[in-house]
This record gives sequence, structure tokens and C-alpha cells, in this order.
Amino acid sequence: MMTMLMIGIIVLSNAAGDVFITKGMKQIGEIPLTKPRRLWLTAGKVATNRNFLLGLCLLAVSFAAFLAVLSWEDMSFIVPATSVVYVVTILGARFILKEHIDGLRWLGTCLVCAGVALMCLP
Amino acid sequence: MKTAITIALAVLAQAAGNTLLSKGMKGIASLGKLQESISPMLILDVLGNPLIWIGTLCLGLFFALFSLSLSWEDLSLVLPATSIGYVVNVAFAHYFLQEPVSLSRWAGTGLIVAGVILVSRSAAQAKQRESEETLPRSGLGMS
Repeated sequence: MMTMLMIGIIVLSNAAGDVFITKGMKQIGEIPLTKPRRLWLTAGKVATNRNFLLGLCLLAVSFAAFLAVLSWEDMSFIVPATSVVYVVTILGARFILKEHIDGLRWLGTCLVCAGVALMCLP
Repeated sequence: MKTAITIALAVLAQAAGNTLLSKGMKGIASLGKLQESISPMLILDVLGNPLIWIGTLCLGLFFALFSLSLSWEDLSLVLPATSIGYVVNVAFAHYFLQEPVSLSRWAGTGLIVAGVILVSRSAAQAKQRESEETLPRSGLGMS
């Protein structure tokens, strides 16, 4: 029961975090690798972007829950079990980032779900 | 090319980080009763463990590389690409942590990767369609 709750927290906060991180990074634009000095400037922009910071906080919550549950469950169970985050993130991408989700993507998502279910079998 | 290399490095860093964290957290002596209470001693134990620090640094590296690729590509492309990490994670758990991995768990991993590959294909197709739609009409444009 506790494990399931933790997985829920890990997944929801991770998905929300990824969506906000993406929102922030897209606001900043493509980061060029060719100008090392510019990287510091860009790092500053990233560190002060609200969406990025919100996403970071959410990921921190997810990470804390992940650390906790790793102490009593196998990693090879937890890491795949939390892969349902892909489904939740796609939903976030659809409704918050307004990305277009076609049939192929939904099918792929269902395969991920099936894979996760297999993972959780003892 | 740069996205592929960045993601490959990110995935390796993530698997290494998860493995180290798992080893570290399992090794903490006072942890038996975590499910019942979280004590200050426990937090001190976690903070004092070098495996936890290095593992966290590895995950930090993964995150930096992941964010970097997000500035170049869509989330729906980058996220599926990083799913190859699941195979690496399970393999690391098996070889470094000696965790038993059943056949159904390997099969589940395979399904996850297959599903995520489909998702990334759909993202690539959508990009293709988008770039085709915004191509300027050749020749007969009236200005």
C-alpha cells in the first residue's frame, strides 16, 4: 500500500515537473554548444526561469519519494514501475503543452502500460 | 548527432546514479523501520553516505544533459529516447546489485521500450507533417 502511494507521488510530480521544465527550456530557446562563454549566460537564464524552477521543485519531490521507496523495494521493480510516468507526461504534454497526440502515440503509450503491468508481477 | 550523444550519456549517468543510490540506501543500518517513521538519525545517515552523494551527482548530470536536449527537441521525442535507460537500469541492477530479474520483468522491459519507440516515431512523423505544411509554395506565389 505504502509502495503504491509512493509510486503515485513519484509519477505525478515527475510528469508535472517534466512538463514545466520543457515549458521553461522552450522559452529560453535552443542552447548552442559552440560558445562556451555564452553557456554561463544561458545557465543564468535557466536558473531564473519560473517554469523551470517550478518543474525543478516538482522533480525534487519526486526524487525524495524515489529515494525513500528504494530503501525497501528492488530498483529493478521501482524504476520500471514508475515508467507509467510516460503516460501521465504525454497527457500533460497534450493538455498543458498543447502537443498533438496521434493514434500511434496512444498505442505506444498502451504498450508502456502493459510493460509496466508485467513489471509489477511478482 | 549531438542530441543522440547527449541522450546516450544522460542514460548511462542515470543508470549509474540509480544503482549507486540503491546500494547506498540499502546499506544504511537504521533503515529497517523507514515505513513506520522517519527519524533525524536516518536523515543524517543518508547525508553521510558517499554512495548517496555520488549517485545524486550522477542523477544531476543526467538532469543537466536531459534539460540541454529539451532546448533542442520536443519533450515527446527526448523522453522516449531516454527510455532505453530502462533496459540499462535493469541490466545494472542485475549485474551490480545482484538483484534477481524474472523473465516477466525482462519481458515487461521489452514492452516498455517497444511502446516508447512507437511514441517517438509518432513524434517524428508529426514533425515531418508540420515541416511539410509550412513549406512555402514554389513558383506561383503572388506577392
